[in-house]
Amino acid sequence: MTGAMTGTRRGRRRPTAWDVVAYRTVNACLVGFLLLPILVVLLFSINPAPFIQFPPHGVSLRWFVKFFNSRDFMASFRLSVELALLTVVGATVIGTMAALALVRGRLPGAGFLAALFLSPLMLPAMLTGLALFQLYVLLDVGRPFWGLLIGHIVIAIPYVIRTTVAVLHNFDRSLEEAARNLGASELVTFREVTLPLIRPGVIAGAIFAFVVSFDQFPLSLFLVNPGQETLPITMFNYLRYDFDPTIAAASTVSIALSLAVVLLLERTVGLQDYVKL
Amino acid sequence: MTTLSTAVIAAPPRRPRRRRPLEGLLVVPALLLFGGFFVLPLAVVLLTSLLTGNPVANPSVGFTLRNYQRLVGDDYYLEVLWTTLRLGLLTTVAALLIGYPLAHQLARLRTTLWRTLLLMAVLSPMLTGIVVRTYAWMTLLSNQGIVNTALQALGLTDKPVGLMYNELGTVIALVHIYVPFMVLTLTGVIGRIDPRLEEAARSLGAGKLRGFLEVTLPLSLPGIVAGSLLVFALSISAYVTPILMGGFEIITLPILIYQQISGSSFNLGFAGALAMVLLAVSLLLVVLYSRVMARTAGGRAWR
Repeated sequence: MTGAMTGTRRGRRRPTAWDVVAYRTVNACLVGFLLLPILVVLLFSINPAPFIQFPPHGVSLRWFVKFFNSRDFMASFRLSVELALLTVVGATVIGTMAALALVRGRLPGAGFLAALFLSPLMLPAMLTGLALFQLYVLLDVGRPFWGLLIGHIVIAIPYVIRTTVAVLHNFDRSLEEAARNLGASELVTFREVTLPLIRPGVIAGAIFAFVVSFDQFPLSLFLVNPGQETLPITMFNYLRYDFDPTIAAASTVSIALSLAVVLLLERTVGLQDYVKL
Repeated sequence: MTTLSTAVIAAPPRRPRRRRPLEGLLVVPALLLFGGFFVLPLAVVLLTSLLTGNPVANPSVGFTLRNYQRLVGDDYYLEVLWTTLRLGLLTTVAALLIGYPLAHQLARLRTTLWRTLLLMAVLSPMLTGIVVRTYAWMTLLSNQGIVNTALQALGLTDKPVGLMYNELGTVIALVHIYVPFMVLTLTGVIGRIDPRLEEAARSLGAGKLRGFLEVTLPLSLPGIVAGSLLVFALSISAYVTPILMGGFEIITLPILIYQQISGSSFNLGFAGALAMVLLAVSLLLVVLYSRVMARTAGGRAWR
């Protein structure tokens, strides 16, 4: 592969076909390893048999019907979507503000603050869950929805900060200077110049925040109310007792939702960006 | 270039003075949130692990090390720790072996289309939740699963091979879940290695394999170290996969932590002590990771 790019001494050692083929075959197998499980889930969700059956006989939507008719699944699905949307709002607003402050505020100890805000990325989410659980036990507040939401926001903020900071570092500040010199106030400059320019980073962070919250398991495990669980927790509990493809249908729905969020946001906002610039 | 234009245009002296405090203040909400709901709770965990009881319910509590003594004094808990570390190590090595070829190809692909497709293939597992992915591996590896059905249909075995409810199945699923992190870390590092270095080695007579082994591989060592630290840190804190794939045969540190607050033995102090051990190991790995990445990226490790 690299051999093809040699400019100066071409043909000294012609790339023999077999090693390139071997290299690509290995990688194709590895991609298969990565994709296979997801394809299997999609396959089982439309397989009519109530057990694992391969190859499948026929196509059926009965597991989707069962999923959408299940009160437990629907309640937790709704809770997960609500939670993810509220997490997106909270994490995006607070995270973008923090990113602006970190890059431009010339804060004392900015490096330490950045490390603090990014640490939920690297520390096990389970520890944050346990810590919040202990705090709520100590404060004797039970397991409130806002407690779960705050946990999700804390976990999601690093993603927003990271993507926004990356955009801010490539930001050409002379554009803002120009706006200021033309008489725009700081607020107008921020709204008309800064915000549109950092928007791709903010939106990328918002997408991450949604997916992280929607798929969150270890943190939610400690903070959900029994009987009012998020979708991943309900699926996990179901899996421990039952193995029928309702889980495959639920998985397919959540994969589709995550994908839809990514594609939709990228399409709508990405296009708008092109139109505006 | 930016500095020059900024220096020229930013001649009016009042601006930097007014902007600085204003934008710095934007950090306040995040600071309050992290202070109250991240740092404080972790401090509470540390405190409860060192106290004899709940300080709110019972004001006459004292300090104790008994939770930590219980951990190191019992072979069962040491065995759990060792299982956790062993699974983490196995996962890391396997993720490296699988992740390296993918990362190498990803870093060296020149066509944007293929690059994008491969990147999407690598990232797509990250789009699906951890429960979904673990379920997928259950359908593949269980006794009636696809792999066992296929093996029996091919006549390779007459009874199911134990692929699940053991460490093998757990490691397979963990590798699948965390290999994207390895690939992303490695791709960044390999992508920065000038391919002409390998070309040079080859034009001096080295074979393809030798060129790779003596040039590219050593230069990508920081990526290997960083990716391994990351995957190790992630896999020792996994909960869903060991519990479902291990089927309660395997007890790891995170499973033990959750047992302390969910089962009949509600013990916040011991849960706290276990959590502190996990936190200490994770922190150490994080610090090492950012050291390595800072050296390769040339500053700004926190980006």
